[in-house]
Amino acid sequence: MVKSTLAAAISVWLVLTSAHCHPERFSEHLSLKSLRDGRVATRFSFKTVVQDAVPRAPDSLADEDDAQHYTLFPLSLGQILRSYAVTEMHLTLNSGRWDYTRWGYPEEAGVATGAELWAWMGDSETVSLDERWKGLRNALAGLFCASLGSLDERRTTSPSHSFKPEGHLPKYSQPHRLRHATLPSENVCTENLTPFLKLLPCKSSSGIASLLNPHKLFDADWHGMAIHVTWDKNEGVVVELSFQAVFDSVRTNFFRKRDWSFEHLFGRKIVQHCTAAVASVIEVDLPVDVAYSISPEPSSALNGIAKYDVSAFSGGLDVSLKWPGEEAFAYPLHPPTQPLTDFTITRVLTGPTQSRGQLSISITNNLPDEATVLYVETMPWFVQFYLHTMRLTVDRRQRDDLLSSLSYTLPIAHGRPTLFEPRLRLPPNSTVALTMEVVKSFLQYTEHPPDAQRGWDLPPAVLVPLRTTRPSNSTTPNVSTTSDATPLTQSLGHRQPNLQRIYTRNLLVDLATPDFSMPYNVIIMSSTLIALAFGMLFNLLTRKFVLVNVAPRVVAAEAVSK
Amino acid sequence: MDAAQVDSDEVVIKDVAFQSESIRRRVLTSYWIVVLLALPLWWYSTSIQRLSLPNSRVHAQESKQLVFSADIGVTVEGLNFDAQQLVRNVGDNLKDVIRSRELGYVFDVKLYVPSSSRHDYTVTIKNSTDSYVLANHLSFGAASHSPSEVPFKLANTLGDLLTSSLASKRHHDEEHRVMQYAPRYRLAFSLLNEDATAGNTAFGWEIQEAINRSLSPSLKQLSALHNFTIESHVQFHAPLAFTPKNLVVGDSTIPLHGLTQEQLTVFINSADWVVSSGVSNDPVLHFVLYVPSASRRPLRILDTEGNPTASSAFIVPQWGGVVIYNPPVTTSTENFHLDVSMLRNPFSIFQTQLLALLGVPQLPSGINTAPRNADNNNGETGTGRTSWQLDALLRARALEATKGSTETMTSIVKLVKQIDGMPVGKDVLDDVRGALDALDEVYTSALHSPRLALSHARDAAVRASRAFFNPGMLALLYFPAEHTLAVYTPLFAPVGVPLIAAALREMRDWRARKQAARTA
Repeated sequence: MVKSTLAAAISVWLVLTSAHCHPERFSEHLSLKSLRDGRVATRFSFKTVVQDAVPRAPDSLADEDDAQHYTLFPLSLGQILRSYAVTEMHLTLNSGRWDYTRWGYPEEAGVATGAELWAWMGDSETVSLDERWKGLRNALAGLFCASLGSLDERRTTSPSHSFKPEGHLPKYSQPHRLRHATLPSENVCTENLTPFLKLLPCKSSSGIASLLNPHKLFDADWHGMAIHVTWDKNEGVVVELSFQAVFDSVRTNFFRKRDWSFEHLFGRKIVQHCTAAVASVIEVDLPVDVAYSISPEPSSALNGIAKYDVSAFSGGLDVSLKWPGEEAFAYPLHPPTQPLTDFTITRVLTGPTQSRGQLSISITNNLPDEATVLYVETMPWFVQFYLHTMRLTVDRRQRDDLLSSLSYTLPIAHGRPTLFEPRLRLPPNSTVALTMEVVKSFLQYTEHPPDAQRGWDLPPAVLVPLRTTRPSNSTTPNVSTTSDATPLTQSLGHRQPNLQRIYTRNLLVDLATPDFSMPYNVIIMSSTLIALAFGMLFNLLTRKFVLVNVAPRVVAAEAVSK
Repeated sequence: MDAAQVDSDEVVIKDVAFQSESIRRRVLTSYWIVVLLALPLWWYSTSIQRLSLPNSRVHAQESKQLVFSADIGVTVEGLNFDAQQLVRNVGDNLKDVIRSRELGYVFDVKLYVPSSSRHDYTVTIKNSTDSYVLANHLSFGAASHSPSEVPFKLANTLGDLLTSSLASKRHHDEEHRVMQYAPRYRLAFSLLNEDATAGNTAFGWEIQEAINRSLSPSLKQLSALHNFTIESHVQFHAPLAFTPKNLVVGDSTIPLHGLTQEQLTVFINSADWVVSSGVSNDPVLHFVLYVPSASRRPLRILDTEGNPTASSAFIVPQWGGVVIYNPPVTTSTENFHLDVSMLRNPFSIFQTQLLALLGVPQLPSGINTAPRNADNNNGETGTGRTSWQLDALLRARALEATKGSTETMTSIVKLVKQIDGMPVGKDVLDDVRGALDALDEVYTSALHSPRLALSHARDAAVRASRAFFNPGMLALLYFPAEHTLAVYTPLFAPVGVPLIAAALREMRDWRARKQAARTA
């Protein structure tokens, strides 16, 4: 049965591609995974490929663009990419904090709280890169109803070692450059999801996308959407729209069980499949070492993953996973014996005053091997680092040798942010602490946000593990950038870390806030002072002194001479 | 205290330098001089820049009239008319025709006999029944009219060819349908499937090929007026916001689905449909090819009585055109692809709609675009626009842009006059001056070339609207004069009161002393 549906899917794909010479291909994908704490991590992915398409060369921006004809590819997004000649772009809008210690790695790396946008664009003289970056973020702000327009120069950096392109970069006359910006205080909500759904060929009316029910999605413990545009020289321009959400199925279950179903999680089931998709696949991670029941019968089940081909289920699909032996779900009381991530990172800003503070970062390497990582910190200009106070310690012992290189971009007051990008070596199974003193600047009166007393959100820092190469062990061929550390490489004695980047949580910094009625106070105070001085002088000069005779003339003469 | 005593005391005090009356008065006067001198400086430093606009020049524009001219060379072939007499007759009739059109501009048309190549247009009056236009040439078939009617008919035809109803002062429905003039339009073509899950949907279209065949010639000709950017996409779910009417016509077993005239006005479901990309600020002309879902076929447009009409298309004024495509009835649920032959009909409608939306005048009835017996089987007749039509459109658009920029500038002048707190910077003044200069150019160039007139008028319109929307003009609206005064009061009141009090006291003393001197 599995084989026949697969064959059917392939034949449908062949018919669509060969009969109409379709240069565009759309596929949709949903994966569900039960987490250790009873929650369910879900990821929707909608991928459109424009075959053999090439991103627009920035040099051609001066010329008229060709007529753009799209079938499945979202037109609005396509036109934005064309008009700003963007080769690669990643936009994520997330709400909540991804809990790495309890949930492990997310399926998609971009889980920074708030908005994050980074793009690779070819440099050009016709229209400058920064002008196009500005246009891109404004256009995306308009498209997704998000305040991405405020990702301006004060938030934009160009990290030199991290955020490498995920696809290929075409060879243009000038090199490609990176622009990266985060907006931690941005929140994702229905107004962002609606334009997101409009970019899909089947909208939310059929196929996997019909499960995207805003009422349920925005009730989830963590949720976020992402748009990735990459160019693959063998495939073409690839756009992937994805939505990740972590649902607390125990909270919403009457019997406190962790059983879930589509109806339960999303309030909907898939009634019709999206005819525009060449593949719509649902993957469910099956539980290990526990009795479970899954219904309906999956199209295939391999390596602990149950697969459903949506087009094969014509009468409606409502996948459900049950733990029949379990009464109420018992929350795990202890952390997992083996940490779920290779690295753990925490970052705090300490210091009671509004002018000084200390940034403390501790990075734990859970691997039995030494690992090399990049730590990327983007700080708004008003939090300045005292770089000379930087201390690297392991178990309270100073270990300056762990810092192998450091790239640092100085901030410009009221302008560019700081970029702090050290490369660190992490000893096996140990925690490296990095501390540094910071000074908080005074902001200008007009620079404060409307709710100034709340403080400023600082963007999350990013930990980027680097691939380590050992000269003695050069044969580790099957490690790709996205695959997890496989048991095979582990058995060779040298384990490659998971190269997925890890985000820290946001920080809130309390800056000195003025009394906002200050300008008026200043005006009134200085006016009073001037009036006082004037009055004294004026009175002294124009007062008419009159001699009052109360005593002999001598006294009067004395009074006058004084 | 007796008077003598006081006098002698005062004498003693006046011995002290600054207590003498004259010095005190001088101190007081100098204070006042400083204050009075500082006043203009204060006024200057706190007031806003308000350059004076060339008001009289702007108002003079309102009464100006555009004058266009056209020379027509007339030849008479194979007819025993007195050419001179005929041309005089036609000319007189044409003047009446043009006057009756109530154009917004003065149109000076001159007819010449014999014809030569230096004329703007040429007319040949022939003894045949076939009338047609080719480029700037009109071949008029006089045989179908009685000889006495010929001058009148020809004048009417020429009037129709040379003017566009867009330029008429009379109220026209067409005016509301035609897009406002813009140098660049975005043409957004959408293939909308009502519901792809129902099967038998259009999965793609040969759009580029269809555009090349049906639209490109027109677009090329219109490039004198506008530039075009083209984009297209396909959608698989485009539900209607209402349910079409169900009706059974005759003894047919297949029910019809009808769109009533009211439903046509709400046909565009902008909440659910994405019909253009919105990547630029250029105005968009939308062209929608709507494929109803398999259960809603055939979908027809109903007339006011509720009977289905033969038409499958309609224009949404200033927005675009819609064509409803009902695929042939089949029982299969196989999806299909719209090839060029299937798109020929919808795209020829799109072409007509495009021309209507851009205000291209139609040829008068009875006039063809080619000789009747010419090789005419390529099926693309009527796509070419003659220079008669284009020139008429150019004149109308030039008039529109001229009128528009004049109105904008009048509004600026009025607004600046009304709102005292509105700053007028140098850039606004420059833009207004530039627009006025461009308008002057329009009036001088209109006589020779409508094309040149349009390009100047366009320039004027751009400058005028840039001046109107200049962000600097709004800067101080929220900081009114009362506010300035309120801020300065804590300074002015305590300083002003002693100054005035001292001045008054001094004056009173002076008057008292004068009176004392007179009585003494």
